[in-house]
Amino acid sequence: MDISFSLLGNAIVSGLLLGGFYAAVTIGISISFGMLDIVNIAHPAFIILGSYGAYFANSQLGVDPIVASLVLTPAFYLLGAGIYEVYHRSFERRGDASMRGLAFFFGLLFITEVVLVLVFGVDYRLVRAIYIGPSLHFGEIEVPLRLLVPAVASLAMIGGLYLFLSRSFIGRAIQAVAQDQGALRLMAADPVRIKRIAFALSIATASVGGAILIVIQPVEPSLGREYIGRVFAIAVLGGLGSFAGTVVAAMVLGIMESLTATFYGPSWSPAVAFGFLLLALAVKPSGMFGR
Amino acid sequence: MASSLTIEGVSAGYGAVRVLEDVSVSVGAGQTVALLGTNGNGKSTLMKCVMGMVRPFAGRITAEIDGTRHELVGRSTEAIVDLGIAFVPEGRRLFPRLTVTENLMLGAFRKTARAAIARNLDFCFETFPRLKERRGQLAGSMSGGEQQMLALGRALMSAPRILLIDEPSVGLAPVLVRRTIDKIKELKDGFQLTVLMAEQNFTQAIRIADRGYVIVHGQIAFEGGSAEELNNNELIRKFYLGL
Repeated sequence: MDISFSLLGNAIVSGLLLGGFYAAVTIGISISFGMLDIVNIAHPAFIILGSYGAYFANSQLGVDPIVASLVLTPAFYLLGAGIYEVYHRSFERRGDASMRGLAFFFGLLFITEVVLVLVFGVDYRLVRAIYIGPSLHFGEIEVPLRLLVPAVASLAMIGGLYLFLSRSFIGRAIQAVAQDQGALRLMAADPVRIKRIAFALSIATASVGGAILIVIQPVEPSLGREYIGRVFAIAVLGGLGSFAGTVVAAMVLGIMESLTATFYGPSWSPAVAFGFLLLALAVKPSGMFGR
Repeated sequence: MASSLTIEGVSAGYGAVRVLEDVSVSVGAGQTVALLGTNGNGKSTLMKCVMGMVRPFAGRITAEIDGTRHELVGRSTEAIVDLGIAFVPEGRRLFPRLTVTENLMLGAFRKTARAAIARNLDFCFETFPRLKERRGQLAGSMSGGEQQMLALGRALMSAPRILLIDEPSVGLAPVLVRRTIDKIKELKDGFQLTVLMAEQNFTQAIRIADRGYVIVHGQIAFEGGSAEELNNNELIRKFYLGL
């Protein structure tokens, strides 16, 4: 009994920490897919790009991976702004964004992977940091710093973004832009500019998300594909565009996967997690925090 | 200082369909001008021309705002709003999944409006107490009358000098129509606005209008210098009121 209680506690704690990581890699999708209706399936590839950015700074310069990723966010922001500009001119403005846009982002996914393979090779890469290794102990519960530091960094990033989106003029316009672009023009805001800023922000989060990923596990160029299903599932489950929903859904999915892995074996965890997603959406189609 | 709007010889339409033919309308500083006419005569199109949402084939539209003249044709909608011209469109075009407060705050996106945001918000809540009660509610879940108040409030949050309103009474119960028209008058006086209002409801619109134009098949059929002139006009009785 005692043993299973500590197993349960540990499974819940690591599930929460895993959820913190999931939230970091999903928050970009919550912006691009949830708020802008842009199906950026290449997002996980940009996460991996973020991982390699952190890896490069860490292995060459010895900088902490998460600090390095923060320094790199302006570069990712500009990359995102550039991608949006191409997407907008080629697809969105012509009104055939849905299917062709999907193909465009598929292309970006492969291009990013191929570039990473050419530059860094196909081997798994990892980073060094003082918090990789040690753990905190609370009685029977073990909290690895390797998971705790990324989870805290993730929540800090999401909290900052939340404040920006709810308190600033640009942020409120971002929340409105998918609802009625014409009406946004009547607020003296250029919807294309607003969407460019929002999409660029979503890509900027991939820098930090990538660093968090490579702190948690070794990374190779095509690893992002494993996360495509999961990140979209979390964004939908949370309620599109809701940050609180994204965090809660990420935590719920993390805990479910962790519990399943602990008590039934890791191979069951995706099935249980996606089963839960389907059930939840059957009960509340707009997601947990959907408006 | 007051602001005015001048529309000269505007022709406009959609594709091959001509909706407006050589329309001239002027709204003097501090005036409320009613654009009268039944559905499909071009009232909305004329307003969209002013707001840069429809590009006229011909004609000039100029706004004089606090002593500076601006040519409006060719400017983007957002640039026109940024000059200080607000528009309450047909169907209100609120952001349904944002709250009342969020909708109002978006109205103040315009840089010039941001300085006066607290004062304007107070004024909105004072004028429309219902909005204050419902400030945390999603705009899409409110009744038609409340949505019309929110649309007016949101337009005022941009601290405009000129206000265009397209069919404020449409879809409202008669008692609400009367109240909405009264509120427009109240806001106009409070903000010292210049107002151009398109309206089908002749009797209500004429209560607060200084002047009026009757638009029939895309042309100005009659220009009335005063409410009495409009009320007693033979053309209006025949074409417009169907008497």
